[in-house]
Amino acid sequence: MTQPIHNPDRTADVLIIGAGASGAAVAASLSEAGFDVVCIEQGHWQDSFKFPTTEPDWELRSMSSWSINPNKRKLPEDYPINVENSAVDPVMFNGVGGSTIMWVAHTPRLHPSDFRVKSLDGVAEDWPISYEDLEPWYDLNDQVMGCAGIAGDPANPPRSERPMPPVPIGKDGEMIAGAFDRLGWHWWPSDNYVNSTRYGEGRDACNFCGHNMMGCYQRAKASTDLTYWPRAIAQGAELVTGARVREITTGADGRATGVNYLDSEGNNRHRAARAVVMAANGVGTPRLLLLSDSDKHPNGLANSSGLVGKNLMFHVYAGVSGVFPDHEEPWVGPVANIILSQEFYETDPDRDFVRGYSYQMARGQGPGATARSGPKRVSWGQNHHAELGRRFGNTLNLGVIGDDLPEEHNTVTLDDRLKDSSGLPAPKITYRVSENSRALLDHALVQGQAVMEEAGASEVMINQLSREAGWHLMGTARMGDDPERSVVNGNGQSHDIDNLFIVDGSVFVTGGAVNPTPTIQAIALRTADYITNERKDLKA
Amino acid sequence: MTLNSDTSLLSAALDRVIPPVDDLPGAGGMGLAGEVVKRCEADSRFNAALTTVIGALPSPNDFTALDDEGQDGALRTVESSDPDAFGLWLDVVYAIYYMQPAVHRRLSWHGRTPQPEGNVMPPWDESVLEVARQREPFWRQV
Repeated sequence: MTQPIHNPDRTADVLIIGAGASGAAVAASLSEAGFDVVCIEQGHWQDSFKFPTTEPDWELRSMSSWSINPNKRKLPEDYPINVENSAVDPVMFNGVGGSTIMWVAHTPRLHPSDFRVKSLDGVAEDWPISYEDLEPWYDLNDQVMGCAGIAGDPANPPRSERPMPPVPIGKDGEMIAGAFDRLGWHWWPSDNYVNSTRYGEGRDACNFCGHNMMGCYQRAKASTDLTYWPRAIAQGAELVTGARVREITTGADGRATGVNYLDSEGNNRHRAARAVVMAANGVGTPRLLLLSDSDKHPNGLANSSGLVGKNLMFHVYAGVSGVFPDHEEPWVGPVANIILSQEFYETDPDRDFVRGYSYQMARGQGPGATARSGPKRVSWGQNHHAELGRRFGNTLNLGVIGDDLPEEHNTVTLDDRLKDSSGLPAPKITYRVSENSRALLDHALVQGQAVMEEAGASEVMINQLSREAGWHLMGTARMGDDPERSVVNGNGQSHDIDNLFIVDGSVFVTGGAVNPTPTIQAIALRTADYITNERKDLKA
Repeated sequence: MTLNSDTSLLSAALDRVIPPVDDLPGAGGMGLAGEVVKRCEADSRFNAALTTVIGALPSPNDFTALDDEGQDGALRTVESSDPDAFGLWLDVVYAIYYMQPAVHRRLSWHGRTPQPEGNVMPPWDESVLEVARQREPFWRQV
């Protein structure tokens, strides 16, 4: 995308770290409000015509250069992550658009109760903001990203008409939905940021290739390189790619003054700004805050509470797979944004856990992925062909996404030895699945088995916990009213540094049991509006 | 392991992992050993797994001298001693085998890449919501 020439020596109004879901939203909002915005992104622009779904080796590439896991992808713009002490592997993408390049674009919202778990259930903390506080920005984001769906879901507060009708759920979706109906359990077509019709500049309708996790050739799936960034750049925002921030710099007064970074040639550079907005995800943001320690901030930036990097939440994932011998072509249609059930979303005192979970139906895959994934790999040897034959083309899945309550011992810290390609300390994850999460998943697996059997599955397989499922990186710089119990306030502003803001999943207080991106983007847009309306002092 | 290595051991192992079926030879007989080595050379994780597995098997002559049961036993020994390496090697082998057009034909799978053609689905039909719409709102009031 062509950009005008910017003076790198100027002092920008706002410098954003990270060009993904939240950074792009802030960049567009602030640049449209007249702020001079620069964004530093360690990855690069993606060419949708070069996504691997047009190549015969696409299944193999999903295990290496197009893996969702940066430890497997190992691109220069990725950073390694020490996961030796983690039950879940964080996954992400580094580039313009961030993880929206590789997401499935399933876009449910948090429930009102998710913001009040302490008051309602006596666990974790309440958010300093409510569902109603965020609702206008949820709606705005749905319009910009393009939401396909249908209003009227009884499990959620009423919401405005979606810009597009739902993506078809297919015969397989109807089969699973029918099972939920017969059991008397909730289901609803998923809200998606996937075009069911042409929507947005140069963006086609989905052609149901079934592999939206590997980039979208059709540009039907919303990613912020296609939605927010063109708007931001048209309004004068500067996006610097292939540049890795080393630290946020501060002045004698302790306030943020900009960043030191390595440019695409590996040269040390400095960019000055009147404010810094962090949008580097729930692992990258605490990592950078900890890397930015100094005499004035010996425990890292914005860390007087000691909570930077603590309370890491992922969402716990498990799954039930059903084999349906008479089913055909389960790979047709979006892979995991079809229907969801929130029958067991809210706390029920009769259960042995608090909070709850959602089910998300997921489709089958190509033969290579069928052979190597699912609850267990297809066996090798004499039984291989018979086992593959039973599963390939016949398997549907019910993913469980469980509420993952914050615990201070689940952390992002700096690794003593592991470094990224620039020699900067890599993050280290320490994470274990809580008893509450395990009880919740166990409940979900029993109910999920009932759904599959009701739908007519001839064989049901259980995946107790998905390890490579840390898509949702949350809680490591949480928001709150009390500076001793939180890192930022309800506007995403650091309690310690009034010109430092955080807008990614780090600020989540609790995670709910839904994919977080619409909430992340709503928070980012709300923070941008706060800056626009209340921090005019940041504008030159 | 490199492309210049003797791939006879790998080829024999591939035939045990994915044996012949119908009119198709096993993965080794299909000549996939070279492709496995090439793909592994391009990814250090894959290459480490391949090297571990091949290094833990008997020599090519000793392995091929074993009967089928013996060869499977040797592979199972490697699998149990280093399940991560063996599993990753297996994943690579599966991915490469299921890239082959002859295999697609046997599975009666179209074998097309997901894009650019995509697929066809019947249009969205709102009548599927008939039962779900009867449910009263039940989200938890705050």
